[in-house]
Amino acid sequence: MISAELRAEVEDFLYREARFADEFSLEEWEALLTDDFHYWVPAGRLEGDPSKQLAYLNDNRARVATRIRQLQTGKRLSQLPNSPMRRVISNIEIEPRNDEGISVVANFVIYELAAQSSGELRVWPGQAQYRLERIAGNLRMSAKWIELVTAHAGQRNLTFLI
Amino acid sequence: MKVDYRELVHTDRVHGSLLHDPEIFADEMERIFVQGWVFVGHESEVKNGGDWVKRQLGNESVLMVRAESGEVNVLANRCSHRGTALCWEHKGNAAFFQCTYHNWRFGLDGDLRAVPFPDGYSKPKEDLGLDRAGQIAVYRGFVFANLDGLAGTIDEHLGPAGYELIDRLCEMSPSGKIDLSKGWIGHRVQSNWKLWPESDSDGYHVGFVHASMSASTDTYYDDVAVGGDAVKSSRAVDYGRGHLELDWRPSYKKELSWLGITRDRVKEYYSALAQRVGNDLADQMLWDGPPHAFLFPNLFLGETVIAIVEPVSPGEMIHHHTSVQFDGADDAFNERLLRQTEAAVGPASFITTDDAITAERIQAGVSGTDRSWSSTSRGWIDLSRGLHREEINDDGVRSSDASDETTNRGFWYRYLDAMSGKDRH
Ligand code: FES
Ligand SMILES: [Fe+2]
Repeated sequence: MISAELRAEVEDFLYREARFADEFSLEEWEALLTDDFHYWVPAGRLEGDPSKQLAYLNDNRARVATRIRQLQTGKRLSQLPNSPMRRVISNIEIEPRNDEGISVVANFVIYELAAQSSGELRVWPGQAQYRLERIAGNLRMSAKWIELVTAHAGQRNLTFLI
Repeated sequence: MKVDYRELVHTDRVHGSLLHDPEIFADEMERIFVQGWVFVGHESEVKNGGDWVKRQLGNESVLMVRAESGEVNVLANRCSHRGTALCWEHKGNAAFFQCTYHNWRFGLDGDLRAVPFPDGYSKPKEDLGLDRAGQIAVYRGFVFANLDGLAGTIDEHLGPAGYELIDRLCEMSPSGKIDLSKGWIGHRVQSNWKLWPESDSDGYHVGFVHASMSASTDTYYDDVAVGGDAVKSSRAVDYGRGHLELDWRPSYKKELSWLGITRDRVKEYYSALAQRVGNDLADQMLWDGPPHAFLFPNLFLGETVIAIVEPVSPGEMIHHHTSVQFDGADDAFNERLLRQTEAAVGPASFITTDDAITAERIQAGVSGTDRSWSSTSRGWIDLSRGLHREEINDDGVRSSDASDETTNRGFWYRYLDAMSGKDRH
């Protein structure tokens, strides 16, 4: 059993991370990451060795920095304007790890409006797996892995932070 | 009413209605995807007997299957009894295909093998096999099919340039073979399929659509495709028959530019390659890189990426891509190709996402045009850039500055031939 305090702290972190992503608060979002952060959205289940697969997205820390820089250029056509979007997170399961880290899984649904082109409302359901670390007393994120319900079906532009 | 394509496709302009009219789309699915040669997949996707993958060729779902004999077949994914789709996953391995409606069973060659309660039939089984592609051709593992079997030969379709482009890619592999079995990723775009041959072979847009890429990271496209000098030395080439290239080779400023790393990082790959082709040729290949080319109507050779253009409806398409893997290269090299592919192409990539949004904006722009306007000046798309300065050689190959619309025009020349029946014998 994890403590109510830990659950509250983790949920707080996840909701904040979600809000930063939804609102394109890019610097604030990036500040939540550890130096070895890994960001992964496979074209299938979350299984196997990511380095051997072709994924939708497989960013090490340097590449996620480029991703954020690209969004900050003001020239990123596919996010001009930024997608209005909101996500809901639920079914949060928390498991402390032996190495002081914390594993978290949660379900999410994102509603995104394709304001850059067709105006279509896009729905992105899936599961997120997070790895959190405690650094100088605060939680930080060292991995965010996303399994989309539609992983095998191909995707529309995914140029926001999922 | 029958569409007269000669009224919609001119040398210097094409009509916007070509990108959204449902009747035109229906004609294309028949004249290009049934009556013409199309790319289906690669042999390395079906290595073993019984391996199959599902593909969409125009309106028709097909299975590319490796038979026990080793032969690759392209079969309709449609039971010959009452039409039920036989496979609904993307790929698998099977000893036979069994329909789930009345359990008819088909061999990997498409022949009908068994039916329950056979006494009810007097027709011979031979008449009840699956529909299959009328012609199949395999070149260096690339599988092409012509569904109706009446398209002329693959040699006529590919021409010397089609073969040369495939050769140029495959020769860069240490064994001379490439592997395309890392799976295809679908990028779903709300645009007409023809905007992708255009975008994949357009040199004019790179500095504008991909400005955010240049501004956030080092990219070799700055050297080969952006700005005055680069677009002057790189070439837009129309080989004829709709096969197109943006030839970056003259503009690369250093070897391995196309891979974004230096020679010391690819030592193993280089020595494996040099062992087969010799040092001089291997050195040259490190400079030149694989081609950036489009083979009509649906195959993109995107340097280290291969993509298939799949039409869905007049305003909807899927750009499927996979990463080229060089057979005989070390794991680290091939993993580098995977990471490069993820950065460049697909729904979450740094590059083709902005092509996708551009295609969707074009779609929004042209969707209000009507083909009856072709007798007026309304609703046209201009493709005249560079028409006054493009060169044409003795083989009929046209080339011009990389920012010129020579490649775009080349696509439409072939399109007009296919749509007006000139491709037929
Ligand atoms: S429809 Fe396939 S067996 Fe009847
Ligand atoms: Fe582009």
